[in-house]
Amino acid sequence: MAVLVTGSNGFLGSALVERLALHGVQGIRCFVREGSDRSRLERLKNKYPDADIHYYVGTLVSRSDPVKAVRDVDTIYHLAAALGGAPADMFLNTVVATKYLMEAVIAENPDVQIVHVSSFSVYGVADLPADTTISEQTPLETHPEKRDPYAFVKWRQEKLLLDYQKQHGFPLTILRPGVIYGPHGSAISGRVGLQLGGVFLHLGGSNTLPLSYVDNCAEAIVLCAAHKIAGVSVFNVHDDDLPSSRDYLKAYNRQVKKILSVPVPYFLLQLGSRAVEWYHHYSKGQLPAIFTPYKTANLWKGNRFDNRKLKSTGWQPVVSTSDGMRKSFDYFRKSSQ
Amino acid sequence: MTKKLKIAIVGCGQIADGHISEVQKLACAKVVGVCDLEILMAEQAASRYGISRYYDQFDELLEKEQPDVVHITTPPQSHLSLAMAAIDAGCHVYVEKPFTPSYQETVKLIGHAEKNGRKLTIGHIYYFDPPALALRKLVRENIIGDPVHVESFYGYSLAGPFGKAILGNSTHWVHALPGKLFQNNIDHLLNKIIEFVDDERPLIKIFGEVRRITRLGDIRDKMPDELRVMIQGSSTTAYATFSSHIKPTAHFMRLYGTKNIAHADFVARTLTLEQEPTLPSALGRLLPAFNMGKQHRREGWRNVGRFIRSDFHFFAGMHNLISGFYDSILHDTPPPVPHRDILRIGWMMDEIFRQLDEQVKESWQFL
Repeated sequence: MAVLVTGSNGFLGSALVERLALHGVQGIRCFVREGSDRSRLERLKNKYPDADIHYYVGTLVSRSDPVKAVRDVDTIYHLAAALGGAPADMFLNTVVATKYLMEAVIAENPDVQIVHVSSFSVYGVADLPADTTISEQTPLETHPEKRDPYAFVKWRQEKLLLDYQKQHGFPLTILRPGVIYGPHGSAISGRVGLQLGGVFLHLGGSNTLPLSYVDNCAEAIVLCAAHKIAGVSVFNVHDDDLPSSRDYLKAYNRQVKKILSVPVPYFLLQLGSRAVEWYHHYSKGQLPAIFTPYKTANLWKGNRFDNRKLKSTGWQPVVSTSDGMRKSFDYFRKSSQ
Repeated sequence: MTKKLKIAIVGCGQIADGHISEVQKLACAKVVGVCDLEILMAEQAASRYGISRYYDQFDELLEKEQPDVVHITTPPQSHLSLAMAAIDAGCHVYVEKPFTPSYQETVKLIGHAEKNGRKLTIGHIYYFDPPALALRKLVRENIIGDPVHVESFYGYSLAGPFGKAILGNSTHWVHALPGKLFQNNIDHLLNKIIEFVDDERPLIKIFGEVRRITRLGDIRDKMPDELRVMIQGSSTTAYATFSSHIKPTAHFMRLYGTKNIAHADFVARTLTLEQEPTLPSALGRLLPAFNMGKQHRREGWRNVGRFIRSDFHFFAGMHNLISGFYDSILHDTPPPVPHRDILRIGWMMDEIFRQLDEQVKESWQFL
């Protein structure tokens, strides 16, 4: 069974390649860009020689490059997405890239299973009450243009895949992870807060932090893909024993380094967001609208989370949340030294 | 109420965002449609900026929207054909830099616009940034004296989003330009010089090199990233430096006159003047540092004032250029960038890339 992994040299991508190898998959085709850093994949190639990890070099922002890559594979794990940069570039490297990948799929391998890694950010929770439980039935965003560029492109990417699936009928598995964390990942999620100058604004308060340790997330991707059904299946991905944003920050302060943080209560954050949005319009964009009431409600109003559907696949965390945080913090501490 | 200009944007990449944002600040214009060969790119621009119509066919946009002005923000290889089509449809055209890939195409496009009575401009945005406008005022007031020499410095970070895109893709359109990375950037270097070097064909000597150590084994390895240009006009000389390695990524020009030296910093948005000492001996050496500190404080507070007045935007120069271009259309006055300057820069770039090509050919024989 050969598989293709896009975004394979990224934080989650390389963890997925390792989980696939551990599950005995042979023939792991890693789609990588020219000149990209493949050091983690190189280590995996040496560690799992039987997995036949090999590269397919190209860019998804090309109609021709994915054509050969999608041939003769049973499953495509589509992880490639831009995490930062200018909004138009993020859109190009995420949504247009997905379109070109799917054009190649439809032309070369139309029955292949697509496993797409989406995000919690596609849900539209701004207008829902605080503490609403986010499950796979939660409505998707209806105003993506009001969200940050990442949420916008991930929403559009998933919609594009659903449109292709509707038209062509291939099996599509969508995973929507919460906050993927671990060594080599980012230390503190935006759901906890933001660094502003020399001060960390703690915005998450007592909200539950939907952590997904990178290996747990990768394991979820492999198991959900194995639960292949005709049509579309969607799984939210997060771990058990989730900490609050405050607990995470306290543990970070204790185990990594002390950071100067200022807690901002939600009502104050909403007031501030209104002011930022007003000033953005008043000044004709002199400062970016990093906070708006809508974005704030989506990220920091506070939600509960439900991973029962994921567990129905037999998934269990391979790393507990306490161990995951410890491993991550050990790494961050050593890196900061 | 005066008629609003109908604006169309073709090419919905990163720079199109800047154009749309700046046009939407103007009362005299409205973006009526956007276009990109990749319809999803057109859709995302329309969605984020609340533009009701988007297209993947330029002809269809021209026919349905009948714009007064078209902004061309596509890769330069398509500028000529798109601009010609827009002019044929009766539009005025703003062409992003580089104007076209060659002097020959620039001559053709300007000729076509002039023949059809349409206005053209090029995206020389820094020419209209506040420090450049302030410098021009000093020149008009004869505070600099007669220009003797100009120095223009443009730093570039290959670690930025566009730099990464170029280095991450050997088929990126930048690699297909005769002057590669330089061609996409040195308009910003040269347009600060030609104002003071008035010759049609000044003497040009260049030195270019690839300073990056990493080798990728393809065309990207042949993309030079450091350029020095010496220019000799009949009454003024100039140096131009393009660097991808010097940190911080600076962007400035210095104008050396017979009375004073002006330093325009496009990053800090300041303009300072180096003057002859007014006091003798050691006292004359003490005062300049204080004088310079005073000037920087004055410029800093001036910028604070601009910020308070909401007049301190990233694309201030682009805003001024677009505004000036639309004024020239509405009042039938000359466009903000003279056609002669666009032509002279086009010629200079061809000459720089010709010399660069010779140097690269020679140096690559030994690698």
